[in-house]
Amino acid sequence: MSSDFYKTSILPFAAIIIKICRAYTNNQEDFEDYYQEVCLQIWRSKDRFRQQSEWSTWIYRLSLNVCLTLLKKKKNNRQHFASDYIYAEIMEENAAFSDESLNQLYGAIRQLKEVDRAVILLYLEEKSYQEIADIIGTNPNNIGVRVKRIKERLKKIMS
Amino acid sequence: MEKSIETIWKEGFLKKDAVIIPKLNNLYSQKSKHIIDKIRRMLKINLVGIVVFSFMVLVASYVQGLFLSGVLIFILLNVIVFVNRNLLRSIKEIDKNLNSYEYLKSFDSWLKKQIAINEKLSAFVYPSLFISMILGFWFSERFQKGIAIILGNYNEIYFYKGYPIFWILLLVAITCLLAFFGGRIYKWDVNLIYGRVFRKLEEIITDIEELRK
Repeated sequence: MSSDFYKTSILPFAAIIIKICRAYTNNQEDFEDYYQEVCLQIWRSKDRFRQQSEWSTWIYRLSLNVCLTLLKKKKNNRQHFASDYIYAEIMEENAAFSDESLNQLYGAIRQLKEVDRAVILLYLEEKSYQEIADIIGTNPNNIGVRVKRIKERLKKIMS
Repeated sequence: MEKSIETIWKEGFLKKDAVIIPKLNNLYSQKSKHIIDKIRRMLKINLVGIVVFSFMVLVASYVQGLFLSGVLIFILLNVIVFVNRNLLRSIKEIDKNLNSYEYLKSFDSWLKKQIAINEKLSAFVYPSLFISMILGFWFSERFQKGIAIILGNYNEIYFYKGYPIFWILLLVAITCLLAFFGGRIYKWDVNLIYGRVFRKLEEIITDIEELRK
């Protein structure tokens, strides 16, 4: 990956990648691995970007897909070590940010189902229901109801 | 008043330290380790598979009255295992302190060397397997009747001094063909089993080479 590409096409959108990767990882080491993998995949897939959507939307989609794939792989690897998996789930790192409320919110987001995490992240990033549906590949009609339900669940977890 | 999750999100990310970008270093170290471990594991499993198969052949050949074939094939398969086990051990000679790129390149060279040796070995193994099977049938009491029928029904012009010259020539031709194509059969076989993971290895090396430019 050329440093030019990284500086011009990835770095300005690093916040998006960070926000997504944080939601799918429980510790700093995993977070950094996921971040690197997402950057790598963006670089490797850049020629497949068809400009039918915004570059940032494409990054959202790709980041989510990479994180979901990595999470799935990790779960499969840990199937044989159930105790490790449970331990990792409990070991949620809640000190990634200096803002305590944000740490708490992320802690709650990590307890959601994988797809629900994607939905709420995109909602919090002020994406329209249509955009959320496009990125996730679902029907926009259900997004509103789903967001409402996820918000209620988050409130419940955080309270 | 309790903050909404939207406010927590917005305010949280307004703080400077909220988005600390990780450094991109050792980008490929995990990937390199993963792919090499995977190939090593696959090669090991393959060797265990060959050993198990050789014993199954031995038992089956005894039951079917083709024990000579079974013994010869058993020996051949275990020679393959012996050679490859030693090759696999030589992986340890690769310096683990190398960086990802150099380690991958060393591993790639080792793999190519291993494939080249097996390719040469295949030119001997495939014909030997064929001859082993033929010898097994030839010397098996159970199949004597069948062989006699085949040869007995044969026109005399195909015999030379009592030897079934046509059959012998055919066997020699097949043996030569197997010797000639043995390497290619091996490569086809390897590609079928390991093709995907080998391509992945090449892909990673190409990526790192591009990165190093």
